Amino acid sequence: MSYFLNLVFAGLAVGALYGLLAMGYAIIFKVSRVVNFAQGEIMMLIAYMAYSVALRTDGSALLVVLAVLVSSVAVGFLIERFVVRPMLGQPVFSLVMMTIALAILIRSVAALIWGNYPYRFPGAETVQPFVIAGVYIQPLQMVLLAVYGAICVAVWAFLRFNIVGIAMRATASDATVSMLMGVSVTRLYRTAWVVSALIAGIAGILFANINHIGPDMAHIGIRAFPATILGGLDSVIGSAVAGLIIGVVESLTGGYVAATYKEIAGFVVILFVLMIRPYGLFGQRNIERV
Amino acid sequence: MAELSVINAQIFYDRTVEAIRDVSLTVAPGEIVCLLGANGAGKSTLLKAISGIMGPERGLLTKGSLNFGGVSLAGMASEQIVRAGISQVPEGRRLFVDLTVEENILMGGFTLPAAERGQRLAEIYQIFPDLVPHRTRVAGYLSGGQQQMVAIGRALMARPKLLMLDEPSLGLAPKIVATIFETIAVLRKAEGLSILLVEQNARIALEVSDKGYVLERGRVVFDGDARTLLDSPEIQEFYLGMDRSDDRKSFRDLKHYRRRKRWLS
Repeated sequence: MSYFLNLVFAGLAVGALYGLLAMGYAIIFKVSRVVNFAQGEIMMLIAYMAYSVALRTDGSALLVVLAVLVSSVAVGFLIERFVVRPMLGQPVFSLVMMTIALAILIRSVAALIWGNYPYRFPGAETVQPFVIAGVYIQPLQMVLLAVYGAICVAVWAFLRFNIVGIAMRATASDATVSMLMGVSVTRLYRTAWVVSALIAGIAGILFANINHIGPDMAHIGIRAFPATILGGLDSVIGSAVAGLIIGVVESLTGGYVAATYKEIAGFVVILFVLMIRPYGLFGQRNIERV
Repeated sequence: MAELSVINAQIFYDRTVEAIRDVSLTVAPGEIVCLLGANGAGKSTLLKAISGIMGPERGLLTKGSLNFGGVSLAGMASEQIVRAGISQVPEGRRLFVDLTVEENILMGGFTLPAAERGQRLAEIYQIFPDLVPHRTRVAGYLSGGQQQMVAIGRALMARPKLLMLDEPSLGLAPKIVATIFETIAVLRKAEGLSILLVEQNARIALEVSDKGYVLERGRVVFDGDARTLLDSPEIQEFYLGMDRSDDRKSFRDLKHYRRRKRWLS
């Protein structure tokens, strides 16, 4: 039983990370119908930037958090300005290709600057995990889950009650009419990219502190992608919840079947879910009045 | 007060298809003007051009000018045009179907300061009290008539000076169409609006309007005050469907006359 619980908890901790990244995918997809394949790379880049700040200072938590916030906003802003905006009016598919190019670019540049080897994040102390009901829990994993919960609530409230959030959902529903209401779609794209980079950055810094920082962080983006599909590409909160599901499924597969099957478990799940619900678990079905 | 004036506008789609040619029209403050014409005459194109949303369809104003209150609308972004006081109820209502009724209406007030939005929302509910019980319902599940009210309420949220309605009667029962047009007439007085109305239903549109323009294949072929249009034999025959088979006229004569007149003016 405690083996099972340990697997579930480890799954939740990884799943929260997937969930955060999946939210980033969903936010961008929602407003612009673009799948940003550079999501994992953006997360890695921001974590590396915070790492550099931590190396050159005393690595205090406050400074690192500040570095994450500043670099996420900057990265989101710059990508929107120099990659997304020039592609406006082009077919959506071209922009998707651009994000793949961006992913490769970030990976290569990061390898040039920070090298190919993983590091321990400065200031990340090895704390004794505490045990509840036979489950080993690292304090930082609890922080991750709490942050995950807080971001989910914040994003949900933003989309539900804030006029810009409502405008995002409106743009997802009908972009042209959204323009008729006085929404600047360009500004909305910028908000989406910045918010998505911010969430990715927070996920990145937490991952770096729990595990390590290295080029393999970029792969988490691809591992989180099934979560977005499972949750429904345009459902932000659905993607976040689906992240947990994928995390737990991966962890259980790794524990009971074989560690090598872990990585494909998520894809097998979406294969079956999509057969039954093609729009994902929480995705928007088209409303059709007959 | 702001007046809309379109002067010799020419609009191309994709630089190849001419949708509007040499169209001139004015909507004076407080006036209801209707734009009649068959499908493909260019009515909706003109409204899109005024609202600045031709980008997605690659439309371009190649000649002439669009002015509102003395300011040129050409080259303005759609959100600036909304701020300048022009709102549009698009063809087929085009609600944000998976948002609630209240969220739809709130979206219309996107350009308002946050503090004003709640107050304006209450005013909209006063205009359309029937919407109040449905405020938390998903808009896509409302009936067509209710959806049209939401669409009009949404456009009114921004406190426009000019309201443009693109075929408000589309797909609605005659009784509901009558209510909608009554509301339009009331709104003109209550809100001090100018209204530009695009319609297929010529009779009901002309009855509420002060002035009318008839568009055909991108050109104005006929214009005048609503009464004159209603009484004119050409309009009666071609748009109101009254059969005058004894002395059949060709519409070509009419256009010919019109064209000559333009050369002279």
